Amino acid sequence: MKLRNYTLRYLIIALLAVIAIWASLFYVVILDEVYDNIDDGLKNSKILIIRETYADKTLLKTTEFGIHQFKIEPLPKGPLYDFSDKFISTFEFMEYDDDNEPVRLLETVFNDSDGNPYKLTIRASMVEEDELLEDLMIALIALYAMLVISIALLNYVILRKAWKSFYMMLDRLKKFRLGTGTTFKAPESSVSEFKVLGRELEDLLQRSETIFTSQKQFIENASHELQTPLAISLNRLELFVENNNLNEEQVMDVAKISDTLSRLVRLNKSLLMLSKIENRQFTDEEMINFNALANQLKEDFEDLSEFKNITIRSITLGELHYMMNKGLATTLITNLLKNAIVHSETSSSIDIVIEKNAVTLLNDGSTALNPDIFNRFTRDLSKEQSTGLGLSIVQSIASIYHLKVEYSYTGKHAFKIIFPTL
Amino acid sequence: MKILIIEDEQGLREVIRESLEKEKYIVETAHDYISGLDKIGSYDYDCILIDIMLPNGSGLDLLRELKDMHKKEAVIIISAKDAVDDKVAGLNLGADDYLAKPFHLAELHARIKSAIRRNSHDGDNFIAYNNIKIEPDQRLITVDSIPLTLNRKEYDLFYYFMINPNRLINKTAIAESVWGDHTDQADNLDFVYSQIKNLRKKLKDAGAEADIQAVYGMGYKMT
Repeated sequence: MKLRNYTLRYLIIALLAVIAIWASLFYVVILDEVYDNIDDGLKNSKILIIRETYADKTLLKTTEFGIHQFKIEPLPKGPLYDFSDKFISTFEFMEYDDDNEPVRLLETVFNDSDGNPYKLTIRASMVEEDELLEDLMIALIALYAMLVISIALLNYVILRKAWKSFYMMLDRLKKFRLGTGTTFKAPESSVSEFKVLGRELEDLLQRSETIFTSQKQFIENASHELQTPLAISLNRLELFVENNNLNEEQVMDVAKISDTLSRLVRLNKSLLMLSKIENRQFTDEEMINFNALANQLKEDFEDLSEFKNITIRSITLGELHYMMNKGLATTLITNLLKNAIVHSETSSSIDIVIEKNAVTLLNDGSTALNPDIFNRFTRDLSKEQSTGLGLSIVQSIASIYHLKVEYSYTGKHAFKIIFPTL
Repeated sequence: MKILIIEDEQGLREVIRESLEKEKYIVETAHDYISGLDKIGSYDYDCILIDIMLPNGSGLDLLRELKDMHKKEAVIIISAKDAVDDKVAGLNLGADDYLAKPFHLAELHARIKSAIRRNSHDGDNFIAYNNIKIEPDQRLITVDSIPLTLNRKEYDLFYYFMINPNRLINKTAIAESVWGDHTDQADNLDFVYSQIKNLRKKLKDAGAEADIQAVYGMGYKMT
């Protein structure tokens, strides 16, 4: 899980830094304590040794360390000596280790019972710094490893529990579909942040749903409102021509008005269809057999194509089946076929090629088309009755079903719809 | 024949009324759910046109009321919505037909005649004009009692004219009715003319007393 690893990563790095700092401080403190301890021991020995020399003068003859851990060297009588204690850390060879080992020396000056000055040096074995460091390092690494493992484990268990309701919420969000009337219900959680998140999401989605529904309503009502005055105008014109004896020219004038109104009607219907498609209002789906559909449409357009002496050929390279709304599938192919027929010259040919995952419509043409034909309202101005929305509708349908629409010109115009391979 | 129009848009109501009265129908109108219900409850008709979107009520509810009252009228639903759900709902509730606005008057007449004809179980089920008779149930055309063979599209085309005799029919109306909604781009409608030419020839050869004439720019008329 990404979130867990995310926090874990930072935790581990921070832990490393914390332990490094802590270890250095610890090391310094320990060493300090060790030195203090040793030094206290040395000071204690000094007191004991000096007292002993008062009792036993022969002790003053210990000029070398020998088996004793101290040596006493006589000093020439003279100026005032510094009687304070001096601590030195140095190295001395130790037979046991066969190496120079660190030792701590206490050097001081004292007067014997006769008042003669002597230099007293006391030695104590010290902690070997580098070995101490080594042991400390190993212990720390072990500590670090144990901490990391237990933190990772705890992390995994606790975070999973804490984020459970969050992941549930994510899951429900994924499943939510606007416009289908399902309500989003946030899962229960004891974590206040998730509770707030859940509540806000519920509100947000509720508002979106309301807006969507009212938009749907608006589009449908707007179209309704537009169609009615258009219907009245068209019908009034029809009656007008019937009721009056008009000469040919007058009939033509009325006809032109009718045609323009009809164009408005078609435009309105296309716009309505476009918005419905984009608002995903076509929810019924079935498995469409595109080979059968193409053949049926070929038949439907037979009279039109025969009139222009256009041959429509069906070329089957494979069977194409896809799950989608039947009306939209029909519109998809119809619009392309209709375009092909309308924009083809007489006595030309149109090919409908169906493969396992694509439908291509080919028709004769002398020059390639501008790619902005897919823009809304772009149309061939010589085709007065064209709404310019046919291809836009094709594209809208394609986009909601994740199909790709391509236009290419290879001597013939080729409009290809590519279906995703299942 | 008595027809009831239940439609809230006055302009549409009036133009339909005028067109129907020209055909010698007796026409009554209502402008909303309540007045519609009132008329339905009080009188009988041969055909009722109901708009789905009515103020203070839905046309579909009126349809339900009609069926509850066991009334026998033919019902045609008209709607601007062209929504499949409405269509299905209406037809399921017992409507005889569904018309989407805007429609051509010729189309309306055709649907009304068909609905009434289908609804009436008494009398011969045929349409006659001069010496031509069509029996729609068998798709049989006879001229002077001699059968005339037409292909499917020609039959549909001729039937449309027979149901709208002496009326100027818009060429788009014909194209949409016979060839379907795809054929809605006027620069293609010349193919309709070539079909009509074929039809005229066949009628002439059979001696039918009917001629289909082109009214340039607007459409065709059978006289």
